[in-house]
Amino acid sequence: MELADRAVGLLLSSISLSIFTYYTFWIIILPFVDSDHFIHKYFLPQDYAILVPVFAGITLLSLLSVFIGMVMLKSKKKKA
Amino acid sequence: MELWKRFDLVMFTGTYNTAILKSYISFVSRTMKHVVKILSLLVAVSAFWIALLQAAIIPRSHTWLLPIYFVVSLGCYGLLMVGIGLMQFPTCPREAVLLQHDITEAKDFLSANGVDVRSD
Repeated sequence: MELADRAVGLLLSSISLSIFTYYTFWIIILPFVDSDHFIHKYFLPQDYAILVPVFAGITLLSLLSVFIGMVMLKSKKKKA
Repeated sequence: MELWKRFDLVMFTGTYNTAILKSYISFVSRTMKHVVKILSLLVAVSAFWIALLQAAIIPRSHTWLLPIYFVVSLGCYGLLMVGIGLMQFPTCPREAVLLQHDITEAKDFLSANGVDVRSD
């Protein structure tokens, strides 16, 4: 189904672009904006800017290792 | 090189097959060179970053933010390339139909000649 493929591809690229623009705004542009501008309401405090990606990266790594461990266990069980 | 310390190489020399031993050694050395290359690249990047910090060009508040920002943007770029590749993937519908014809033809021929073609 090439339509489903293209829909998934579009979804992925839109997600990545939105994450990139939000993060760029958060880290680079926001420090140069005055503190009482309305735009600050839409962004979390800057301390979260480090925590959220690190947390997401750690979650991703742990999920990957769990997946690899499960695959290895399954292949061992099949051989035995 | 003290061969008796390398258990894996001792097992290989036990087979007396020098061709296999040579290819194994070359494979291991190539992999090690690859790992060393990647590690040295990481060390160089971190050294560059620490040198920039010491020179005080970049404001102190952005010390931890910028490397994380670069890593996140690299991940975003990878995801974007995957999405674009997915959208532009060619499906070749005519070749798919021909392939299905070939598969049914091969299945008929093989089952007529007594080969088990059930796919589980």
